[in-house]
Parts: sequence; structure tokens; C-alpha cells
Amino acid sequence: MQEQNAIKVDDLTVAYNYKPVLWDIDLVIPEGVLMAIVGPNGAGKSTLIKSILGIIKPLAGSVKVFGKPYQKQRDKVAYVPQKGSVDWDFPTTALDVVMMGTYGSLGWIKRPGKKEKKASLEALEKVGMLPFQNRQISQLSGGQQQRIFLARALVQNASIYLMDEPFQGVDATTEKAIIQILKELRKAGKTVIVVHHDLQTVPEYFDWVTFLNVKKIATGPVKDIFNDDNLTKTYGINYKVSMQK
Amino acid sequence: MTSAQFEIQLIASLVAIACAIPGTFLVLRKMAMISDAISHSILPGIVVGFFISHNINSPLLIVLAALTGVITVVLVEFIQKTGLVKEDTAIGLVFPAMFSIGVLLIAQNANDVHLDVDAVLLGEIAFAPFDRIYWEDYDLGPKSLWVIGTILLITIALLITFFKELKVSTFDAQLSAALGFSPAIIHYGLMSVASVTTVGAFDAVGAILVVALMIAPAATAYLLTEDLKKMLGISIVSGVFSAIVGYWVANFLDASIAGSITTVLGILFFITYLFAPKKGIIAVLHRQKQQKIEVSLLTFLLHLNNHSEESERHLDHLQDEINWQRGTSKKVVDLALKNNMITINNQIVSLTDKGKLFTEEAISYIISNKKSEIEEMKSRFFLFRG
Amino acid sequence: MGLQDYITLVFTDYTLRTITLGTALLGAICGMLGSFAVLRKQSLLGDAISHAALPGIALAFLIHGAKNSFYFLIGALVSGLLGTFWIKGITKRTHLKSDTALGLVLSLFFGFGMLLLTYIQKQENANQAGLDKYLFGQAATLMESDVWILAGVTGISLLILLFFWKEFKILLFDPEYTKTLGFNTRVIDILITTFMVLAIVLGLQTVGVVLMSAMLLAPAAAARQWTNHLWKMIVIAAVFGALSGIIGTGISATQNNLSTGPVIVLVAAVFVLFSFIFAPSRGLLFRQIRFMKNRNNLKLHKTLSVMYEIAKTHKNFKHPHKIKILNNFQGFSRKSLKKMETYQWIELNGQMWNLTDKGYHKAVNLYNQQNIQQDD
Repeated sequence: MQEQNAIKVDDLTVAYNYKPVLWDIDLVIPEGVLMAIVGPNGAGKSTLIKSILGIIKPLAGSVKVFGKPYQKQRDKVAYVPQKGSVDWDFPTTALDVVMMGTYGSLGWIKRPGKKEKKASLEALEKVGMLPFQNRQISQLSGGQQQRIFLARALVQNASIYLMDEPFQGVDATTEKAIIQILKELRKAGKTVIVVHHDLQTVPEYFDWVTFLNVKKIATGPVKDIFNDDNLTKTYGINYKVSMQK
Repeated sequence: MTSAQFEIQLIASLVAIACAIPGTFLVLRKMAMISDAISHSILPGIVVGFFISHNINSPLLIVLAALTGVITVVLVEFIQKTGLVKEDTAIGLVFPAMFSIGVLLIAQNANDVHLDVDAVLLGEIAFAPFDRIYWEDYDLGPKSLWVIGTILLITIALLITFFKELKVSTFDAQLSAALGFSPAIIHYGLMSVASVTTVGAFDAVGAILVVALMIAPAATAYLLTEDLKKMLGISIVSGVFSAIVGYWVANFLDASIAGSITTVLGILFFITYLFAPKKGIIAVLHRQKQQKIEVSLLTFLLHLNNHSEESERHLDHLQDEINWQRGTSKKVVDLALKNNMITINNQIVSLTDKGKLFTEEAISYIISNKKSEIEEMKSRFFLFRG
Repeated sequence: MGLQDYITLVFTDYTLRTITLGTALLGAICGMLGSFAVLRKQSLLGDAISHAALPGIALAFLIHGAKNSFYFLIGALVSGLLGTFWIKGITKRTHLKSDTALGLVLSLFFGFGMLLLTYIQKQENANQAGLDKYLFGQAATLMESDVWILAGVTGISLLILLFFWKEFKILLFDPEYTKTLGFNTRVIDILITTFMVLAIVLGLQTVGVVLMSAMLLAPAAAARQWTNHLWKMIVIAAVFGALSGIIGTGISATQNNLSTGPVIVLVAAVFVLFSFIFAPSRGLLFRQIRFMKNRNNLKLHKTLSVMYEIAKTHKNFKHPHKIKILNNFQGFSRKSLKKMETYQWIELNGQMWNLTDKGYHKAVNLYNQQNIQQDD
């Protein structure tokens, strides 16, 4: 089977209010990797993901998903936004939120039916949230809310998963559960891209990593490039990888 | 100009100043809509004060109305704290309810109360000179002049005394608490001043237009300066200017003075909104366009710096892969050439030494997150701007 | 007049029936659309729009010259939309915050409207204008044609709501995610905004500029407390809105000197107050009760864990101990021990107590839970 690129980013430059946030990024993400995007605050990690998704319009450059523009490949990509990006006091249930993952394939006006509900319940089961399906979302813990967001993406049944800080503010149990699911996704041949903060866990969780700080510093297999040299280049200070936890 | 005309303009100007001062802080503290809430909810306070004193100019009215204003603020904050609804919903719930109570109180006692909701909301400054204060037989001038003059003097005294505290708590509430100024006291102090000013001004310009006099001059000033003292100054000047010009426009059209003042305020703001030198939308759009070209140029130079292979540095590559339109790429290349940052040989673009230096400095600035310094650097390197 | 007489009157009296129907419909549509405003954190937008509509009404009169509800509506709609777009322009293009933009548009448009109104009133046919009613509203001027317009708009917005239900819901909850799924969020956004402006403009002649925002917010804010489902919230808000209209009209029709607009708003405010306090689960009263119950439970749990520590010292955990032993520990009383007995956590025998099986397991569970929580 021929090796294929899941995502190919060419010369991508993004500016907020015309101040550069991402600069001339060239990035190739092979299919089937579990990749972390790491970098300091303000390095443009979320921006990179949002540009791939077409939420942010880049100043220059292009993004291809399996060789085609994102607009033609929406059904192959699922997105897990930051937990803090929505109002969790919104009057809706866990199951309802997960069902939203099916809206894209349904298109305008058509309502979700039995098939969509079944898929959503399966996704809830996978993240261990089935007993909470009718719970109002504000009554869930931070970790549970994150699992709901993950389930919503799972329901999309995509080939590529883009996640913005899925481990932010979740408990240890949830973190383990989430990484378990991500590893299963990779085993099933999916590509998973995660904006990640905790450098300690990178070698344990991921097999691919991209260092980002406005420019792309390095990208490749964790075992080859996750070293002090790249960390120092990314974070600016003398960085030592300490593996002990 | 008759003396009545002069007095009207004087009162209007004083109201404008008295409103501009708290208004500036309300706008800076992102609480502009609180003034809208206060201006409506003082109605029941005025009505109750009138029941008790039977005198529209009684100080009791002002005290009770100001108290109602503060109660409104407290109520809004209480509802917010319950978390049952969001902040803005709390404001939107409280003031119509208070206003309704006021309207109904007036309607229920229509026979005893010579209060007109119209007058409270819209005001009629034209009648102000006819309601005068006499001491023995000596004419001391219009009552509203005394009322608003007193309020203004108190406001100015408070402003001068607590200027430092106001400034710190407005721009950095945490620092202010650390320095020992209670943000709560300053907050409620400001709310009280806003309430008292609203009450003092309502019979001149009406409750809704008090909102205009508080917000519009401050917003205009905000677009013109970043210095608090200058902002206060510009607010006051534009408020007084609108008051006087508005008066003469109303005179000419034979229409509401308050409405006319607001319209002038609106025109003043609109002109500033369009033409303010730095923050007006024309300037912003122009700057964005310039920056867009310049950022594109930086991107382009960085791209050249990153790629030594000739295929990546071919002119056609600009359109193909960087995904620019033909117009943009031509502008970018022209700008780079004009500034001696690139040379072109056989359609292949190369960085000059100056171009290399510029690019490397830019990278280091951007990576170290010192984005503001890029502007300074641009002015060093650019002979021509985009 | 008794309630029954009044109800008969509503059905027989043409004017009263028209007004009741009109205010009920208005309340319903405002409750429905107000739910969107509340959930999008645009609660004060309604206030700004209703004020911004005034110059449109005055200009419609100046241009058209006669009193005609339809032209007034168009004028109000255009200037309301203009105000909305300017608010968006100010917040997007300048550093001024949304509250300043709202206050600016609200007061400047209103002031300009005032200028025009007073100018018109000085003209010859001023008395025919009847523009005053837009300030404070005059439900009494509702005519059958107005009711038909209201019914039409309510019907259409209901249809659109049902049609685009899924799209509305997801946009309200997570706009960015909606975009990644390929929905054109701007179309949905414009749909919602247009209908909100339309509802406000329709309400102006009934409740007036000043009180319009409460018609939008109050039913929605009250409804939010009773349910955690979006569709139920919208239905309840519509019902609350309609009831406020009907009850408000009733009160103002049977009492002297009570104008309809403020009464409707106050009735709606009562709904809000009642919901804030008595709504199950979210309401303040139940929250307080739950809080006190939790505190009591916490006390019992603490006592139980102390007992568990004591019981552990003995091989048989059911071995009785003296109550006096507990005296070293604060926070237990005869009453709480009795309560623990009714929960069957402990057995009391005179001055002695001992844990039961149930109490023992409960204590073990509590102990584990505590550790898990610390783990989080």
C-alpha cells in the first residue's frame, strides 16, 4: 500500500490583526500517526489547527487533506475544540451534544434519526459516559465534559481527528481513558493530532511530534526528534527532558 | 441672545460636563449599559420622593432617586452572583421592572402627581429658566442651574481627590486592591455619582439622553487618545460643544433641544468613528491594508530564507503555492525590490544581504513574542512602506 | 368583576378580545426569540434595537406623511437593522467594547428620533401622527389587522424554527464547531437577527420602546430555570410570554389608570422572580435546602467516619462503644445520632452505640470516595 499524507501544509502564514501568528509553515503529517503539537503559549498551536479546519483564513499558503482542500474533505475530519470555548450552562444533555457530531453528514434541515442516535450512544459507551447520557452538561465534571466532546468527534467517524488541548483541566482517570481511545484510533489507522501542553507525557502518549513556535521548529517521530536540542529551540531556554515522573 | 437662551446653554453645558466625567470611567470600565439601567430605574425613586415632599425640586427626590440607582446596581450584581442568568440579562431584567413600577405609581396617583413620564424620559430644558430661585426679592437664577452646578462641583471635587484611586482601579483592579484601595468602595462611589448625575440631569435632558451624554463624548474621546486626562478633557469639550451647537440647531428647527444635542453628539461620534487619526475605521482599514502587504512581504522573505532550492524561489511559485492573487504578489515583489531586499535573476528571486539581515531580525523578534518591536524595526529597514 | 365574568367578556367584547389576542401572540413570539437572545449573551441587543427603531418610524411619517402602521413597521425595521449592523461594526472595527456600542446606538438613535418627532409635532398634521404610543406603547390601539400581522410573523418564525431547529441549536451552542461541519453560520445568524428585529418592531406599539427589552428577556430568563432542554425552554418561554400578555391585559383592563405595557412587564417580572426562587433544582430556595441538607449529611458523614475509626480498633466492628468516647469529637448531637439510627448506620443501646453492616459499608465507601477525590 502506498504511503499517503493525511495533511499537507504549504507555506502557511496566518496573521491576527495582521500580526503574524504562524509563519511560513511547511508541514507534512503522514497517515496513521498519533501526533502532538507542542510549543509555548502564543506559539500558534490552536491557530494551526483552526487554519487546517478553515475556521481561520490564512494570509498565504495552502492546506490539503488527503490531497484535496479541506472544504471537499469535511467528512474525513473531526474537531475537538477547547473545552472552555463553549458555555456549559447551555440547556442541553450529554447525548444531545454528541448527536451534534452527526449534523455535518446530515446536512441542512434533515434531522438525526435512529441511526444517528445509535451511533451517538455507541460513542458515549466508548468514552464511558453512557450512564450520563441524559445529564445536563453543566452537571458534568471537567473530565466528563471533555469525554463528551471526544464522543462528539468519534461520532463523526472521520479519518483525521484534530484536538485542541483535550487534557486541559481533566482528572488523571479521564486523561488515561482519553489516551487509551486515541491509541485505539491510531490502531484503526486513523490520524490523530493533539495540541498538547505536558511535555513529560509526550514520549509515553505519542509517536509523532511537531515543535511549533510561530515557525515550525521540527516535526517527525518522537524517538528521533524529541530531544533537548529541539526543546531548547522551541522554548528558548535551556531545556532538559526529564523522564522521571 | 436673550438671557434665557444663555441660561439654557449654560445649564446644558454644565450637564454635559457633569455627565462626561462619570461617563468616561463607565466606558473604560465596560459598564456603559449600567448608565442606561440607572437612568430608567430612578423613576420610582423620583415618584416616591415626590409623594413625600410634594416638590419636584426637593433634595429628597435626588437622594431617593440616587438611592434607587444604587439599589439597581446592587440588585443586578446580586442576580449575576446567583448564576441563574448571565450578566447582561440581569441588567435587562431589572431596569424595565423598576421603570414599570415608576410608571404605574404615577398613573395610579395621576391626580396628585404633576409628574409626566414624558418629561422624565425626554426632559424639557427649554422651561428651565422659568423656574427660578429667589432670596428675599433677589433673583439667584434658575433652579436647575443650582442643582446641576452643585452636583458638578461635588463630582469635580471627588474626581480630583480620588483621581489616582479611580485610575488604578479602572486599569488594574488587582493592583488597586493590593495598594489598599477597595475596588468595591470606588465601584459603588462611581455608581452613586452616576446616579446622582442622572437624577440632576433628567429634568434638563431626560433620562435616555443622559445616557447619550455619558457614553457618546467618552466614546468619541476614546477613539482620539489613550491618555486618561486627555480623554476626560476631550469628553468634556465634545460634550459642551454638542450642548451649545445642539441648542442652536434645535432653535433653528424648532424641535427638542435634548434630541438635537444628542444628534450633534451622534454626528460628532460618527465623524470621529470614520476619521480618527489612529483608531477611526478609515485609518484602521488603511493600516490593515498596509500591514497586510508588509506581513506578506515578511512571509515572502522568510520563505526565500527558508528555501535554497531554485524551484521554491521562482517567481511563478508565488502564485502557485503561496496562494496569492497576482495583484498581491506583484505589490509584494515591487515593495521588496524598492527596499533593496531582493534581487531577481532569470525569474529566480534571491535575498540581498539587507534582506537577510531584516528577515533574521524579524524571526527573532517574532519568536521571542516581542511583536510590537517589529513596527520599530520596519521603520528602520523600510525606505518605502506598503 | 369576577374572573368568570372577565373571561366571558374576553370572548364577547371585540376590542378586549383583539387586545388580549395581540398581547398573547406578542408575548409568545418574544419569549421564543428572546430565548435565543439570552442564550447568545445578546440580552441588551433588544433594548438597543427597540430604541434604534424610533428614527425609522419618524422618517416613515415624514416621507409618507400619513399614519400607516405598515410604513411605520418598514421604517422601524430598516432603522433597527441599521442600528444592529452599526453595533457590530463598532465592536469589530474599533476597540470600543460591546456595552459602549450598545449604549451609543441606543441613545444616539433615540435622540435623533426625538429630534424628528418634535420636529414633526410642530408641523400641521401633528395630532394625527399618534407617534407617542411608540414610546410607551398603547395596547388599546391594537387592531385586528395588527393581530393578523402578529399571527403571521409568529407562524412564519415558528415554521423557520422547526425547519432549521438543528442548525439553530448547534449555532447557539458551538459556532466554531458548526463552521467546521460545513454550515454557513452567517445565514443562520442573519435569520435569527432579522426575526428578533421583526419581533421587537412589532412589539413597539404595544409595550413601547423602553419596555420592549423586558418582553424579550423576562420570559426566556424565567423559562431557563425550569428545564435543561432547549426546546422545552423555548416552549415554556412562549407560554410565559403569552400568559404575561393575557394576565397583564386583564389586570390593566379591569383597573383604572394602569397602562397595559408596564403591567405586562411586571407580570413577566413576577414570573422571573417566582422561577428564580421556586424552580426545582436551579431555584434559589431548593439550592438553599440542598445546601443545608448537604451540610447536615456532611456532619453525619464526619461522625460516621469517627465511629468507623473507633470501631476499627476492635476486631469485631459491631462491638458496642460508649457514647462518651465521642465527646472528644465535636459536631455530633443526640439528634444526629438518632438520625443515624434511622438510616440504620448504627444501633443505639442506652449509653452505648455500635456500627451496623450498612453503616460499616457506608463508612468504607466514604473513605474510598475521599481518596478518589484527592486523586482528582
